[in-house]
Amino acid sequence: MKRAGFTQRWLPILLLMPQLVIIAVFFYWPAAYGLRSSFFLQDPFGFSETFVGFGNYLTLMRSPSYLKSAGFTVIFSVLVTFLSLAIALILAVKADRVIRGAKTYRTLLMWVYAVAPPVAGVIGLIMFDQSWGPLMDFAALFGWDFVLGVNYFDTAFAMVVVSVWKQIPVNFIFFLSGLQSIPRSVREAALIDNRSASGRFWDVTFPLLAPTGFFLLITNITYSLFDTFGIIDTTVKGEPGNNPMTLVYKVYVDGFRGNDMGGSSAQSVILMVLVLLMTVFQFRLIERRIHYT
Amino acid sequence: MTRLSLAAAAALSMTTGAATAQTEITWWHAMGGALGDSLNQIATDFNASQSDYQITPVFKGSYEEALTAGIAAFRAGEQPNVLQVFDAGAATVIGASGATIPVQDLMTQNGVDFDIEDYISGVRYFYADSDDKMIGMPFNSSSPIMYYNIDALEAAGVEAPTTWEEFAETTAPALVEAGYIPLAQSHSPWIFVENFMSRHNLPFATNENGYTGIDTEILVDTPELKAHWTALQDWEENGYYAWYGAGWDDNQAPFEEGEVAIWLGSSGSFGGLMQKDLPFEFSATYLPYWEAITTEPTQTFIGGASLFAMSGKSDEENAATAAFFEFLTSPEVQYSWHRETGYVPITTAAYDLAKEDGHYDRFPAAEVGIQQLSLPAGENTKGYRMGFYVQIRDVMNREFGRILSEGVDVDDAFATIESEANALLARFGQTQG
Amino acid sequence: MTATPKRRIKWSNVVDHLVLIAGSAVMILPVVMLLQMASNPDIETMRNGPGLTFGDRLPANTTKALFEASGFSGVNSGVQMLYNSFILGIGFAVGKIVLGMMAAYAIVYFRLRFATLAFWMIFTTLLLPLEVRILPSYEIVQKLGMLNTFQGLIIPLIASATATFFFRQFFRAVPEELVEAARIDGAGPVKFFIDILIPLSRTMIAAMFIIMFVYGWNQYLWPTMITTDEDMYTLVRGIKQITQSLEGTNLPEYGRANMLALLAILPPVLIVIFFQSWFVKGLTESDK
Repeated sequence: MKRAGFTQRWLPILLLMPQLVIIAVFFYWPAAYGLRSSFFLQDPFGFSETFVGFGNYLTLMRSPSYLKSAGFTVIFSVLVTFLSLAIALILAVKADRVIRGAKTYRTLLMWVYAVAPPVAGVIGLIMFDQSWGPLMDFAALFGWDFVLGVNYFDTAFAMVVVSVWKQIPVNFIFFLSGLQSIPRSVREAALIDNRSASGRFWDVTFPLLAPTGFFLLITNITYSLFDTFGIIDTTVKGEPGNNPMTLVYKVYVDGFRGNDMGGSSAQSVILMVLVLLMTVFQFRLIERRIHYT
Repeated sequence: MTRLSLAAAAALSMTTGAATAQTEITWWHAMGGALGDSLNQIATDFNASQSDYQITPVFKGSYEEALTAGIAAFRAGEQPNVLQVFDAGAATVIGASGATIPVQDLMTQNGVDFDIEDYISGVRYFYADSDDKMIGMPFNSSSPIMYYNIDALEAAGVEAPTTWEEFAETTAPALVEAGYIPLAQSHSPWIFVENFMSRHNLPFATNENGYTGIDTEILVDTPELKAHWTALQDWEENGYYAWYGAGWDDNQAPFEEGEVAIWLGSSGSFGGLMQKDLPFEFSATYLPYWEAITTEPTQTFIGGASLFAMSGKSDEENAATAAFFEFLTSPEVQYSWHRETGYVPITTAAYDLAKEDGHYDRFPAAEVGIQQLSLPAGENTKGYRMGFYVQIRDVMNREFGRILSEGVDVDDAFATIESEANALLARFGQTQG
Repeated sequence: MTATPKRRIKWSNVVDHLVLIAGSAVMILPVVMLLQMASNPDIETMRNGPGLTFGDRLPANTTKALFEASGFSGVNSGVQMLYNSFILGIGFAVGKIVLGMMAAYAIVYFRLRFATLAFWMIFTTLLLPLEVRILPSYEIVQKLGMLNTFQGLIIPLIASATATFFFRQFFRAVPEELVEAARIDGAGPVKFFIDILIPLSRTMIAAMFIIMFVYGWNQYLWPTMITTDEDMYTLVRGIKQITQSLEGTNLPEYGRANMLALLAILPPVLIVIFFQSWFVKGLTESDK
């Protein structure tokens, strides 16, 4: 709050009201409702329900397929986060160094940010098509018999590739602006101290980029957990089968496709707790950043 | 206001006046593409055939999405009059007995003649309750049949196999010799589980395949089914069978490209195959059976979907729905639907009309589906009724993928399917209070 | 000779350019491929997939994608979906910015005991993305009878605090002297907000608008659930129909589908490219 604030009583409440009402109706109510549903088994049409306590949660904990998709989600998130950060960092360092065409490269490398995830998924489907996908032909050059939708590993691979492709631009933008905000004097000093380019990068640039990287780490984990839904959904072509699934996609499959309200609500609650933990972490980080800036 | 717009306003008020005299009903469905066009044609024809009622079909996405949309709308009190529900969703809808009006009741209450015996025997009871009362009106009914590439079979010097033994011993080796992949198949749970059961007259679940009780248990961990899947796994290894994933089209495409000689698909795929102008001659015949299991193979279940009349509508609207169902089941409408899409005609009268018209002389393959549905029935060929069946199918698809792409042991996979499916069935029982 | 060091520098330069060119190619080629496929007859695409030659079907497929509807209603044409997408993108961005600015103004500029509570109530929403509370949200929207409406589509998406948080940060950085001066001039809070604070935030609003527009436009799961009426489909939601076919009954319309996919990415991509500096500013300063 500003020290020199206004003192009207009703105006601020009036200003806050729209936001608060929307949040109450579309955030707190659904969250509470979901919590309640997770303790029941409910007829899809809503005619009857049975209280099952923690039954839905126990079922999940004992379900190999749930645990498997939890495991996949972890591996998927780590891979997508690591690869998209690493590739974006390389590109950003190069883009920061070149003089000619810098702006063109920047544009070419960041516009994919605006591509919707399901469209990225459709593009992936075409690239990896079973009968004529260009990337499938490419894999065949290495003797890799790539079959999307048949082989679990191959399908997971395609999901990771598409998700990384979609995520590189955001990371690129952040890294590039991080690099460009490093003062000239620091760079010049580094140039004198450290003769090898890679040494300069690891000793000077990388530590200076660390806060950006740390912030991006969490953004990227959130991305791979939630925003990849559209990519997964298009990649499995409507049949989950033995394809890999992230936890968010499983909520959708069980709740929306399978009409198991209780089970999928329990899955939602588990995700809520997970995100809660992550965001508390993120929030503290942001607050710290604010202190420094 | 200009005179022109006044006239337009007057015209508008006149048309709306006419519209209010009509009873309007809605029909939610899941038929996209060319099928959707044929469906829209039925609606247009119905609207043109009389002046009291007006039906509007609305495409709601995939089968699963259409069902979910229908359920959600029902909970919000905004359900359509007619909802298309696919085979796997039948138990969910029929289980919620207040959600729909049994078509049989709807028809008789509105003075439409209804006799369940008019319907083809394979179609009759799938969407019926345990007292054989018809709840959902079979609409796009299909049956899994065996399509084959005539050129390929000729090149290999073999006939289309009638039994799996024949396939394994004669057909497949010859086709491999001739440079073809002998077999592919779309939708494993439907063709290689559900219809495997009905083709061999094996029980699929307790409680008469789930019709007579809610505490049903699935019966898939059986020697017959496992023997079939073990054989399939071997065939895949020998190059007799190829699996292209859980998606429908991915398995159909290699057949269309002439790589695969025999493809098990839906009788409803016939229209699409004709449309694609394939570079080879094809035909179709019955699904093979195992002689080791039975020497008297029975009919298959219908697949596809049916139409349910949602409850909570006014009497006028229900009368409109009944009139629409009457129109829909008339031999002419059924025949033209059958002719265009390949889905089977659901009444014997429509079937007779198709025969009379010489449809099957022109396209012998178009008759296979209905003939197969009219084969002798058995105590296990009526259909099946299991809750959360969409998820059970997902479990099957998952395990089949593991059998066929990861070499998972068939025994283990079927034990998993049975235990997970039974857990789902028990959970469904609990949702029913 | 001075040529040797010069040459070495050049070599690393070449590597830099090669890496960047490769990266740019990876970003662009898939989309060129969509365009190539949209320019060929469907049957050819079905048999051979993407190739190197451009056909002559581009205008025909564009017309189809824009004006041909698939459905009894005949309303879910590309143009209609484009329109719906714009409403969603703009409605979401405007709603979010307006509500966010109002709330942030109340929190930052007023002495209000209630402010801390409000602040935390709003901030909790940062914790849970819509995806994890999607089913109950859907039930609520359905109970309120807002399925298949723009309100139902947009308002629940606004129920999160990103914009409020962003503007709170920004307002806190606005010098104290401004509000002092305004009070001395006798300007009330409304006048101060409209005449001083909003003009001051112009760049921030523009930056925010671009980020939010793209975010709203690209929504997929929520529109898929909320809009079941054909005339409400957005382009991105329409993608679902593109990838779906039933029992292999018809020839997939690759040309039209790929054109629709291109159409779905075009507006947000253009906005990002043309308003690049605002976009980068919005992205890097919002920090979610």
